[in-house]
Amino acid sequence: MNKYILNIVYGLGALIVISALAFKIFQPIQVLPRMQLAPAFLLVDQDNRPLTSEDLRGQFVIYSFTYTNCPAPCYNINDTVKEIQSRLGEVELNNIPVTFVTLSIDPERDTAEVLNAYAQTLGADTTRWKFATTTNQTLLKTVIGVGLETYYEKKEDGSFAFDPAFVLVDGLGIVRAEYRYATEVSNTDRILRHLGVLADEVKNSTGTNKLAYEAAHLFLCYAP
Amino acid sequence: MKTKFILAIAIFILAAAGAFYFLRPHTFHGTVIQSPDPSHDFKLTGVNGDVSLSDYRGKLVLIYFGYTFCPDICPATLANVAQALRDMGDEKASEIQTIMISLDPERDTPEKLAAYVTHFHPTFIGITGSQDDLITITTLYGIFFQKKEGSSATDYLIDHTATLMVIDREGYLKLVFPFGVTSKEIAEDLEYMLRQ
Repeated sequence: MNKYILNIVYGLGALIVISALAFKIFQPIQVLPRMQLAPAFLLVDQDNRPLTSEDLRGQFVIYSFTYTNCPAPCYNINDTVKEIQSRLGEVELNNIPVTFVTLSIDPERDTAEVLNAYAQTLGADTTRWKFATTTNQTLLKTVIGVGLETYYEKKEDGSFAFDPAFVLVDGLGIVRAEYRYATEVSNTDRILRHLGVLADEVKNSTGTNKLAYEAAHLFLCYAP
Repeated sequence: MKTKFILAIAIFILAAAGAFYFLRPHTFHGTVIQSPDPSHDFKLTGVNGDVSLSDYRGKLVLIYFGYTFCPDICPATLANVAQALRDMGDEKASEIQTIMISLDPERDTPEKLAAYVTHFHPTFIGITGSQDDLITITTLYGIFFQKKEGSSATDYLIDHTATLMVIDREGYLKLVFPFGVTSKEIAEDLEYMLRQ
């Protein structure tokens, strides 16, 4: 009888190891890592109205960074935003809104009026694509440089050296993905795919499914 | 022989179900953060002098941003944390440090803060700092706050993000609880983290 019990214990052990390996290898559920808390802020948008991090709760937010005097094509940042916006219909978002926030790193020149004119030039729908900044340089550096971990620095000639990154934040205010242009030819497909992965998680990770989603996080089953 | 085989399979399935139930990974009530970097350190002032997050390396640290004039959300959250610690017992509670960071340095002196937080639990500490320091810290911890009018000039209120955060023993932000988390849920997650 002891032999049977021993066999069952060995069998269970093997089952657990095989299940864990299979979960890791086949990744039946993919997620995005919960990297860190996105920074909180009170900025001013293109309509000279306050834009706060709390206003963006419950939405997926894609942050990008630029300044209006950046010589065209300025890393194609705006073209990428436009392409993602035009292709959002390809992704099942389960009615979760997606907002784009382009933060200006040049608040001295990029006043609300300038940002408004810039948005109009781009043909941006400012209900879904916000442009914002703050004249509080310390706060701006804390939000962009530290909170969103995106490098920028003013050069002597008034232009800026900066990382033309995109940062994806979920509805809970958690950074879920970063896209660095320097290493990516085009991030559009990847960002769209990731929006779908996030929307799936919001929809499905409730009740008993929550355990499976937490296992996906535990086993680092990250969407490529 | 066939009966024995069926019996063995049945026992195996039952054992597998039992093993899954008892060995399943803990499902956190809070949202788990997998930050590759330690949480941002800070130095603020309490009734016994300066307090840094790094002073408590080796303990679990619960951080809550609030203020003593907070009418409902702050006392409800602090009361739940206190109840969770009491439910866990003194030995486990001694491995946990709860810090309330006041967003209202104008009115919350260190002495007033100390009296307020220890009313909930004797181990709680309350700290605050300059407005600039608070803006930097809250920005990095994802806490939005803003004054709003109260019934008189000095009776203002402060709207703020009401999350409760848990920093692990190594100084990494591990968990974020939303407002409304119960004392039982807090205790279950903290007990699991203490076992790790």
